[in-house]
Amino acid sequence: MTNMGASLFAILPELVLTGAILVVILADLLLKARPGRPTAVAVLSCLGLVGSVAAIAAVPGPGAGTSAFGVMIATDGFALFFKGLVYFAAFFGVILGLMSSEIRREQYGEYAILLLCLAMGMGLLAAARNLLMLYLGLEMVSLPSYILTGFRRGDRRSSEAAVKYVIIGAASSGLMLYGFSLLYGLFGTLDLTRIGMGITRLLAGPPTGEHLALAVATLLSLAGFAYKIAAVPFHMWCPDVYEGAPTPFTAFLSVGPKAAGMAALLRFFLTAFGAPVAGAVGGFPWQVLLGILAMVTMTVGNFAALNQENVKRMLAYSSIAHAGYMMMAVAVGSGDAVRSVMLYLPIYLLMNTGAFLAVMAVRERTGSELLTAYRGLGSRSPYLAITLTVFLFSLTGIPPFAGFIGKFYLFAAVLKAGSPFFNVVAVVGVLNSVIALYYYARLVRTAFFEKAGEGEGAVALTEPSRVMLTVLAVPTLILGIYWGPLASLIERSAGMMR
Amino acid sequence: MNIMHYLADLLVRSLFKADPATWPYTWIAYAVVIGVGALLAFAFVAIFAGPVTWIERRIAGRIQSRIGPNRNGPQGCLQWLADGIKCWLKEDLVPATADKPLYLAAPYLVFTGMFGAFVVLPFGAHVIAADLNVGLLYILAVTSLVVVGLLMAGWGSNSKWALFGGVRSAAQLVSYEVPSAFSLMAVVLMAGTLSTQGIVGAQGGWPWQWFVFRNPFLFAAFIMYFISAIAEGNRTPFDLPEAESEIIAGYNIEYSGMRFLFFLFAEWANMWIMAAVATLAFLGGWQIPGISPERIAEAKGWTFVGWQALSFAIFVFKGTCLVFTIIQIRWTLPRLRVDQLMITCWKYLVPLSMGSATGVLLLMALVREGGIVDWVMRGAMLLVGLLVAGAYIRKVRATFMADRDNYKKMEGRDLWYPPYRLP
Amino acid sequence: MNGSIVQVVLFYLLAALALTGACLVAFSRSIVHSAFALLGTFVGVAGLYALLAADLVAIVQVMVYVGGVLILILFAVMLTARVDEGKESNPTVGKIPGLLAMLAMAGLLVVTAVKAFGPRTVISEANPPSTVSPIGNLLLSKYVLPFEAISVLLLAVLLGAVTIASGRMRKGAGGKQEGEAPR
Repeated sequence: MTNMGASLFAILPELVLTGAILVVILADLLLKARPGRPTAVAVLSCLGLVGSVAAIAAVPGPGAGTSAFGVMIATDGFALFFKGLVYFAAFFGVILGLMSSEIRREQYGEYAILLLCLAMGMGLLAAARNLLMLYLGLEMVSLPSYILTGFRRGDRRSSEAAVKYVIIGAASSGLMLYGFSLLYGLFGTLDLTRIGMGITRLLAGPPTGEHLALAVATLLSLAGFAYKIAAVPFHMWCPDVYEGAPTPFTAFLSVGPKAAGMAALLRFFLTAFGAPVAGAVGGFPWQVLLGILAMVTMTVGNFAALNQENVKRMLAYSSIAHAGYMMMAVAVGSGDAVRSVMLYLPIYLLMNTGAFLAVMAVRERTGSELLTAYRGLGSRSPYLAITLTVFLFSLTGIPPFAGFIGKFYLFAAVLKAGSPFFNVVAVVGVLNSVIALYYYARLVRTAFFEKAGEGEGAVALTEPSRVMLTVLAVPTLILGIYWGPLASLIERSAGMMR
Repeated sequence: MNIMHYLADLLVRSLFKADPATWPYTWIAYAVVIGVGALLAFAFVAIFAGPVTWIERRIAGRIQSRIGPNRNGPQGCLQWLADGIKCWLKEDLVPATADKPLYLAAPYLVFTGMFGAFVVLPFGAHVIAADLNVGLLYILAVTSLVVVGLLMAGWGSNSKWALFGGVRSAAQLVSYEVPSAFSLMAVVLMAGTLSTQGIVGAQGGWPWQWFVFRNPFLFAAFIMYFISAIAEGNRTPFDLPEAESEIIAGYNIEYSGMRFLFFLFAEWANMWIMAAVATLAFLGGWQIPGISPERIAEAKGWTFVGWQALSFAIFVFKGTCLVFTIIQIRWTLPRLRVDQLMITCWKYLVPLSMGSATGVLLLMALVREGGIVDWVMRGAMLLVGLLVAGAYIRKVRATFMADRDNYKKMEGRDLWYPPYRLP
Repeated sequence: MNGSIVQVVLFYLLAALALTGACLVAFSRSIVHSAFALLGTFVGVAGLYALLAADLVAIVQVMVYVGGVLILILFAVMLTARVDEGKESNPTVGKIPGLLAMLAMAGLLVVTAVKAFGPRTVISEANPPSTVSPIGNLLLSKYVLPFEAISVLLLAVLLGAVTIASGRMRKGAGGKQEGEAPR
């Protein structure tokens, strides 16, 4: 029996978060209709999230004795890195929610609480090393997401988005559970490591019906991940949900759950199928499958984004494309690839949140998310237009912005894999980046080179928006030039995988 | 050793001169004994439900200052038989627009759900059909079949009143299952088992050994369980599903004949189940004061049978007292509104029952059993219980006295009031 | 106790109940009948659990699925307007592809099940030990983290459900409707 008290340190971030959730619920109830309630709730939530991030430092590494929770969640650097990342995403979600008029003041408490629960779920999902925990984490991310998507009450689009989200989410998590149950049937365990050993044993033997069962199980499990990171063919919910959900939540949704899903996908495939499986061991080419999915995902995302008139929708498709880029590296599965995904995600967090923040700022003033609302933004609100341009060019992957570094690492990892197939994947990826340039640049062009229409005056930025834009834009610029510390942090974290 | 198990073995030994452990056909004997046991339980429901309907109507009559059924048999005590036969002989009518399969199946489902609970009710020291390890949960689970049956009846009848009644009833049952389960959880925590016999065994024969008087939280849990049980049984003041003045009779309005009788049966059976569960969980079940269960188990021959009969009598007596209380409540209190019903459940009973379960946990951790604090609590709760009982008896007596005086004033002679005319 | 015959008979009876229910759910032309047919499946499966000596799981199956899920489904179906109009069970998938998919899935499951547990009968004891306390112990030791995580999840979902449901009552105060996108 391990020492329970010492084991608790392994879940310290979750404990802090749970405490924060309870405190926020109480504060929200006690403060009733006082004017300062949303601010107080936001401050408490942010404190909770910052506290959880700080608590991550106190989590003992995997080498420091066995933890009572070790069978369920990993405490390696990989898991902790992603935990920190998703907590940051939630942090921005909380702040953006406070700034947005789409979240009604009296509902802000619920918004923050649900977001904290989501953060906890994402952390568990990223750290899960057991199918049970994995599924639970997935549901902990999904269920509050459904609610937050339908949060704009009385808004038809919001409700419709929520319903679509629920249906697709239920279908894909059902498929995933089928896959998990098959895995459990095949290997008699829910533990990812032991499933990995079982798979190695199984694939070493002669092909039987069980190989087919394994293939089906993997495909079905993949469905759940693909849904969470919005990869084709489970991306259909993405544009509608992004458009219908309140913008601050969309900003969060496009980053947090995607990061957590990516982490879970990486861990699932790397632990269960063993690190770099050369090609198709035992006749199951999961790398090729993921590679093809990655190509299809980014192509579909980019082409669909081309003629979107609604900027939120456009960013939704662009986020599908970004999922594709990252999946490309997941397919490679090498140490470099893992690190490149880990580098890409924080950068993506900054630039995508920033882009959505700009959309939110425009919406707050003009009440519209359409491309036409951005006409002449360069003169109506220069600061907003410039930061938006930074985020968009960074999303495209143009140097000297951070997005370039992220993409560079991704493509480098893919090309390093060396197989002809992955060269093709990389070429498709580069072509896609060029396509992406078109629609990002179109928005920039609208902002700077089109005249503002009648009655479209200046877009006054509120002070918080200006601060947040700066907070997001400055690292996007800096990381494009000086990414060494982040890279070395990732080097250290990724080294501790498993 | 279960009494049915015992009887089956006895049967095999005496009738076939075989060893039940090795004889290949023992399971047939088991099946026969189980069948007979089921029939006995069924008979108990019928025999219990019948006279109680008559008693209830008499009590109702008295509370409403009228006489009640008094024609069939002495004081009308055979009224229930007449009603039963009448229903039995009536035409089994199916409305033309009814959803036939659902309409026909519903009564059986309701009755199965109710009757299924009898399997784990410990009528006596060894008088139980099956002492399941999950007994109490089993009762909660099986009664959920009733909900489905009621919804089925409501939908199948294809009548708006029936549908309203069915939906109301289901909503009510589902809601009140929460506080009743939490109240029972307090008991399960105390007993450390879900088995009904285990829970009875964790108590004793004397009132201060009953769970209800153990500590204030369990006392509260008992009251809350009793309220939720009344609500789950669709009894006034929670009888919205069959509110005669609003939706006529609810889910059973389109039914006639034997099927209608099934619903009534189920309702009475349910009342008994609720009372029995309250008895076994809070009131010491069949425990005989001063006689330990081991002594009963060790007894032989007629002594054994005697103890069984006595424990059975004690259990039925306690249950019947509760049933009478439910009946008296039914005829004294007005009906709640739907919103009041839901508020009572979700805003008061659910948090309070959760609190009482937590309180029981706390006391279990803090108070040593058999210590001074424990005995003080038991004594205080017993005192409260005695005071409640005393107040109740005083009230009944006062009413009786007032009636007698009025009678004398009106008729000019003393009131002749035999005990069988009931309170 | 020579109970194997009884067990085999019971197994087939319960399996038949579960399968009949499932078939009715799939093929019934009325959604209400489909919903009610779920009862057979749930109870049949619970019976199978009980036959496998998993007493707690069997009871919880009945409590959660019959007492909770089924009631909710019935409520939803009964409160749906024009529920009688749905006449085809699943019109998007034809009969032949559906049959093929079913056979493939069944084959897969059989392969997995045989591989995982082997073709053996499970119950050997007449009075199998209770599973209540082992499950309770597991929930509070090995599985304590998922157990507690579920409680946080349930809290969040409860809050969210109340938020969404109470929104209906105060309609009109909701978000802005501008910026409707052309689709």
